[in-house]
Amino acid sequence: MAKRRLNKYKPVVALGVFLVAWWILPLGVKAFLKASFTEFQAPAWVASSYLDDLEGFWARRMHSKRELEIAGQEIARAKSYYQFNAQRAETLQAEIRRLESILDLPSRREYRYEVARVIRRDLNAWWQQLILRKGRDYDIPEGAAVVFAGGVVGRIVEVNAFTSRVELISSPKFRMAAQFEGDPRPVVYEGLPQSGFGDPVGRVSDAPQDLVATTKEPLRLVSTHLGGTFPPGLAIGKVAWLEPGGTGIFQTGEVMLDRDLLSLHEVAVLIPLNPIEIDSHAP
Amino acid sequence: MLLDQRAIIMFGANALLIYLSQLINSAMSVWPVYLFLLGPMVVLPALYLRHQSYFICTLITGFWVDATLGAPFGFFTSLFLVAGAFMFSIRIRVRPEHNYHPILLAHLLNLFFIAALTLGTGREYFGVASFWIQVLTTLFCSHLALLVVAPWFFNLERQLFEICHLETEPEDLPRL
Repeated sequence: MAKRRLNKYKPVVALGVFLVAWWILPLGVKAFLKASFTEFQAPAWVASSYLDDLEGFWARRMHSKRELEIAGQEIARAKSYYQFNAQRAETLQAEIRRLESILDLPSRREYRYEVARVIRRDLNAWWQQLILRKGRDYDIPEGAAVVFAGGVVGRIVEVNAFTSRVELISSPKFRMAAQFEGDPRPVVYEGLPQSGFGDPVGRVSDAPQDLVATTKEPLRLVSTHLGGTFPPGLAIGKVAWLEPGGTGIFQTGEVMLDRDLLSLHEVAVLIPLNPIEIDSHAP
Repeated sequence: MLLDQRAIIMFGANALLIYLSQLINSAMSVWPVYLFLLGPMVVLPALYLRHQSYFICTLITGFWVDATLGAPFGFFTSLFLVAGAFMFSIRIRVRPEHNYHPILLAHLLNLFFIAALTLGTGREYFGVASFWIQVLTTLFCSHLALLVVAPWFFNLERQLFEICHLETEPEDLPRL
């Protein structure tokens, strides 16, 4: 009888033992457990992503020849336009290099673009993240910037063998240095909890008082080289109004982000070619 | 036997449920709909299995869910074990061979997980209206979906027991 009564408390005792063990367990063991479980389930997500690609392939095979001809013409037009732009960019790059050498400016950070497929979008009130189909197998580093045609997507927060996790720019945990287009003064951008209804939004703070934003002429918020993660000039969003912040010295406002952030299929990870080595600059 | 074979089936069913719910969430990311369906995962292991098998099944399910979702690692494992301990204490009063009680418990546990997640990770956003709009929308959609998903899920687990020629009845009660 007494044994039966003691047995009743078995789950509570087991729970207590687990909680104490979890509390004293070294971080390395927890990290190993997390990595093991993540890697174990990664193939299922990667496989579903490849199945998606296959579905797209068969869907495109259903198009008529005429539709493919029209699409080919459009691609040929776009190709010639981008070829012209590439030539122009090369000329401008050469000009920048020449001016830099004349002025003896320090070299800027260069990036390699690694295009990656989005295999899962996990957007809710508590976290906002994407899972990409490339990881350590493509030398994706932790903390790397992630961009798309509309601007900044977020930052890599976890890298696994074949996948990586991106903290989205709309996530409440995301924070970065930014500036308004044409104004070199730095401001702070941070994500906000999303309501799920309407476009994603963020918040800008520490904006100088002389800046004025209206719905007719919204200010464009772009990335800055400060912080070292993002190259300068990438679009973050638009600010339609600014109001005095808590201190009264600076202004704050809501940033309207690109709606395509919620339905991304492909993004580019910016991998620095000359990473900053903090230790080497230490005195 | 160290581990009841039904624990393996239950873990497999749990992994399938989280996989399917995340596939749906990913596909519906443009809409303000997010399905949070963790409630049914703890119900049958706690009601059907002996303590050792239940503990192993729930622990591994917790780690699996923690690796999938964005909460701190170990968060859902702890919650699952807390919920499991509660279920064990009341399992003598529950009829697990029918769906009524397990469905009710699945709803209660789902509500508990959402509340714990909100309190545990979202305290700094309590003053933000959009946070609450999203939490309430998630709560509403998830419990609406659970009305369909929970019976399907419990029947699937029992069906798998039958297919694998395993015991379809819970362990004798009140032994642990």
